[in-house]
Amino acid sequence: MLLIRPLQENDLDALYAMAQGAGKGLTTLPADRELLQKKIDHARETFNQRCAPEAGLYLFALEDTELKQCVGISGIQARVGLDEVFYNYRLSVTVNASRELGVHVRTPTLHLSNDMTDTTEICSLLLSGSHRGGGTGLLLSRCRFMYLDDFRKHFSEKVFAEMRGVSDGNGQSPLWDALGSKFFDMEFSEADVLSGLGNKSFIAELMPKYPIYLPMLPDAARAVIGRVHENTAPALNMLQAEGFNFNGMVDIFDGGPVVEAFIHNIRTVREGINRHVMIRKTPLDLNVPAEDQVMISNRSFRDFRVTTIPAGCIGLDTVSIPAEVAGALEVESGDLVRLAPLKDTGRR
Amino acid sequence: MWLVRPAQPGDLNDILDIAGGQGPRMSSTLPKKQDALAAKIEQSARSFAGTNNASEARRFLFVLEDTGSGRVQGVSGIDARAGNGQPFYNYRQDALIHASHELGVSRRVEVLYPSHALTDHTLLCSFTIRPELRGTDAFELLSRARMLFIAAHRELFTDQIVVEIQGVQTENGDVPFWDSLGRHFFNMDFETADQYSGLLSKTFIAELMPPNPIYVTLLSQAAREALGQPHPQTRATFELLQHEGFHSGCYLDIFDAGPVLEARTDTLKSVVTSHPKILHAANTDDGEPCLVSGGEGERFRCTLTALTESLGDEVRVPVKTWNCLGRSSGDEVRITPL
Repeated sequence: MLLIRPLQENDLDALYAMAQGAGKGLTTLPADRELLQKKIDHARETFNQRCAPEAGLYLFALEDTELKQCVGISGIQARVGLDEVFYNYRLSVTVNASRELGVHVRTPTLHLSNDMTDTTEICSLLLSGSHRGGGTGLLLSRCRFMYLDDFRKHFSEKVFAEMRGVSDGNGQSPLWDALGSKFFDMEFSEADVLSGLGNKSFIAELMPKYPIYLPMLPDAARAVIGRVHENTAPALNMLQAEGFNFNGMVDIFDGGPVVEAFIHNIRTVREGINRHVMIRKTPLDLNVPAEDQVMISNRSFRDFRVTTIPAGCIGLDTVSIPAEVAGALEVESGDLVRLAPLKDTGRR
Repeated sequence: MWLVRPAQPGDLNDILDIAGGQGPRMSSTLPKKQDALAAKIEQSARSFAGTNNASEARRFLFVLEDTGSGRVQGVSGIDARAGNGQPFYNYRQDALIHASHELGVSRRVEVLYPSHALTDHTLLCSFTIRPELRGTDAFELLSRARMLFIAAHRELFTDQIVVEIQGVQTENGDVPFWDSLGRHFFNMDFETADQYSGLLSKTFIAELMPPNPIYVTLLSQAAREALGQPHPQTRATFELLQHEGFHSGCYLDIFDAGPVLEARTDTLKSVVTSHPKILHAANTDDGEPCLVSGGEGERFRCTLTALTESLGDEVRVPVKTWNCLGRSSGDEVRITPL
């Protein structure tokens, strides 16, 4: 069984191995034991409510219960930009016009912005290569929306995700090469690593503060603004299916887009339903296609757990689940659980 | 003899001929269209005569006349107030330090800021001369006659004086700075924009120019290399003005990034060295070559002469110089070495 649960102390080794395997591009989870340990500590404090809700970092582990091992991670940062400055470029347009000359020129322009400050970010999604496919990635990502839904008061009304921008096989980013590197003498991959180590705002302090007029950048750089890395396209599709949209913000380093949604508009949130648990005695085949699976969460703040069950288990007022699932979710008969389809059903 | 005097309506065709023969660009402030040029000459005449109304800017236009043929061979001008009542646009090249204490990095970042700081400073402009005369005594006369005019009419001009020098342009007419910056915003080629800036109000510049500072590092390499560089053809002008006491500052032309030279009016060489003297006749035509000017307003004249003798407040110059200046014995003139 694949089970979502809060990240724990003993997940460090598995997390480190995954971060090593991920290579470049995952700035929020660098392969650095000390830093990962700090993240785990932060997550533990958050779930145990030993830090302010808005300072929370909610990290969830995907556990393969047979292997008893963490094979994936996903996270929610309750607010960005609280103890550092959170930068994006806002892609906007400057219009210059002269009636006298009949000239009307639109110039796409990047404005440095801190507009995402105080907004909830979904982040840090990483899935071990051995467990990709079959809807596992969907579970790992979408379980967060069930959490956001149940504990809305801890989060902003709007949530966003920064998508990885375009870079080539050698880790060269066309936007970084044309813009960032002119102000900060460093390769994109280096800057990216520094960024993951928590130095992003320091680097941003070296970046241009005045608007950047895009016609002054080479075509290769302009072409990647607001575009995602090809490996990130599935993640973008998934978020779009949940109702996330490009909000006009891009990453200051690689130009990757920021997508956002109001929590109440997220598909998983809208389609969520509550049912009382009924533990069934009759055996049940849990291995059904992703289309027929629903996520089931125990709605616990401190020990949030989610797994998937066949949609057929849902009754009018109850959901009947095998004892092993109830055990994994730490629920008993009569407890209220929340359910949402794993895959986009196409209903709008 | 060479004579510099205020431009007159009859000079129109000669000036058009000179302006038209200058290729794509020698001076943006000298219109190539007949109507515009005629209007400019009339405005200049009012400025010399002091008959312009309070709202009209004083703009002076001088011509270089070959008194033998009566033909005009060059033009130069002074705008008493740069911008002539409208904003006068430049870029100011400045630097920011982008530093991070945490990362131990400090970096100098060059920025071009749109600026109006030079608005209302006196501006030397419209300098155009037949190519074969460039670098000659007549060339120096045409340029420096303006300084003598300023010295004689100091109250009309400001304490700071500026002059724009044409920037880098390739053989085929491309302007690297324009191609890297202005073209994106004005959506027209350099020559068109340059002509508009000579003909139209400057409103269009405000409307079309990028409103924010420009990072130099994002310009093309050719554009970066052109910043503050004079066009090779302007070398003689550049050197003459440097000799007068002008120096390059941080201001650049917004179209071609040519340098804007600045000076304090009262320290200009011609202003400092030209003292009023009383005119007397010399017996010979020999002597030290000098610029001599006389007359006020529309009667201002300036020419080259041989200075036979300068004693105290008196100078002796050949009588033909008197005639050229329209002065006679006992009149006051200004004189300065060539």
